[in-house]
Amino acid sequence: MLDTKGICSGYHGVTVIKSLDLSVGHEVFAVLGANGAGKTTLLATLARLLPLTEGELWFAGEDISRVSPWVSAAKGIGYVPQEKGIFPGLTVLENLFVGAMIGTRSRDERLDEVIALFPDIGARRNQLAGTLSGGESRMVACGRALMQDPKLLLLDEPTAGLSPKYVDNFFDKIREIHQNRGVSIILAEQNATKALEVADRVMVLSLGEASEVMDAADVTTDKLKEGYRI
Amino acid sequence: MSIDWLSAYLIYALFTVAGTVGLAQLLHLQMGLAGIGNFGIVGFFGLGMYAWGVFQVRIPWPDALGDWGSFFLSLVMAVIVSGLAGLLIGWVIADLEGDGVLVGTLGFATIMYSLALSEKRWTGGAEGMAVPDPLRTFNWGVKPMSLFWLGVMILLVVGITYYVARVHRSPYGRLLIAVGQNEPLARSLGKPTFRTKLILFALGSAGMGLVGAVFGVMNHFIRPTEIGIEVTLAAMVGLVMGGSARVWGAIVGVLLTAGLFDIVVQIYLPLPDSWYQITLPVVREIVFGAMLILVLLWRPLGVLGDMRRDKLVERLGSG
Repeated sequence: MLDTKGICSGYHGVTVIKSLDLSVGHEVFAVLGANGAGKTTLLATLARLLPLTEGELWFAGEDISRVSPWVSAAKGIGYVPQEKGIFPGLTVLENLFVGAMIGTRSRDERLDEVIALFPDIGARRNQLAGTLSGGESRMVACGRALMQDPKLLLLDEPTAGLSPKYVDNFFDKIREIHQNRGVSIILAEQNATKALEVADRVMVLSLGEASEVMDAADVTTDKLKEGYRI
Repeated sequence: MSIDWLSAYLIYALFTVAGTVGLAQLLHLQMGLAGIGNFGIVGFFGLGMYAWGVFQVRIPWPDALGDWGSFFLSLVMAVIVSGLAGLLIGWVIADLEGDGVLVGTLGFATIMYSLALSEKRWTGGAEGMAVPDPLRTFNWGVKPMSLFWLGVMILLVVGITYYVARVHRSPYGRLLIAVGQNEPLARSLGKPTFRTKLILFALGSAGMGLVGAVFGVMNHFIRPTEIGIEVTLAAMVGLVMGGSARVWGAIVGVLLTAGLFDIVVQIYLPLPDSWYQITLPVVREIVFGAMLILVLLWRPLGVLGDMRRDKLVERLGSG
């Protein structure tokens, strides 16, 4: 589904992601790493919000190395950033509707599915998104990305800073989105324990360089330490 | 019906206030919703005014078109020229941050002012150019003609306000707000934000050009003094005063600033005659500046406050 061939990217001439090769299929793929490892940069690059300085990016058999983010979104890549993932001045419902501006299925049908997945935000549909709690904001951001009917969902630390109640609930939802809706997921996460519970395969990112990709079931503490370069 | 009770100044002041509301409403779409701080309003306003004048006076229209034919064609050309200028400037500034937008739009307004002064063959330079009023054939007299154009300006502003209110309720309005609040996120959701901003800027500029052209018609004389920075300031201060994110913000704000000063203070307060030429225009800018500072200090979201999409959505149903 998504393949990268030696991609490099970064900010203002500083290379953060260094020659990364990756192949993600129909699965939940976890990208683990400490703060500053390059997880957010990688996901922003895959969402086409950051340009590639080198390499190629392929999605569903198409070269999307040079396309704009709105084109990659139209092709089926949904992106949920770690922060600022909502439009605070719009209501919850309007936030979800902004996500439904692309895609062919009926908006109401998609809305019903998202509300069924996240009943809490359904109850707050007419509330300004800027007045929601952190957990509810993440649900709205995730719901809005799902309104795009994505084939691949990029989730950047969706549970960072949330209470344990929200964390458990959110990881359950991630599994549910993958299994029931058939959406592939790339999950950038610091919480290795929770990520390993839902992921099929795992990669550890350290200073922009990737460890070998491992099956989640085969991951050991030693392998993780090696990936984290501890 | 006698209209003797209406002074020529009152008609002109009402016309100016209405035009300022029109400009502020268009700025509301650009700045209040999409976050594009257009400081070059007077540039597009002036371009529309001069383009209308140049097409009306300098182009040898076929006689068969008559006064009204050439008038309307000149008006259409003024709107097109302003829209194209908006497209060009929008293309330059659409991807810039706030300070870049400020410099780009201010620079455009300065260029327009300089061209109005320097291109004497087309614009008449500092002396300006007289433009005929198509109503002159009716021999109505000056005051009824001014009243007619006041009515046209009010209709235009009502039309702009109706459009703005429709945009607020539409998916397009949601898109503009999304672009204004978080452009990278909007882009990642499949929205061509550059194109959205470009089209909005071009349409807004075309509207500002139309307001400027109607100003030119009303004035019968176009000169560079009509396109000074005070036009931009009046629209911007009015919008910020009322609330840049609200449909009624431009109307309330302009009435509280230009309306209060140009109509109530200048007509109904007993001021010495000697004040009107030099003192009042200076006092006006000082008062506007002071009001802007006070509003930004104590009510930064304007008199009406922030946009309340929750109330709007509640009123409209699910939207």
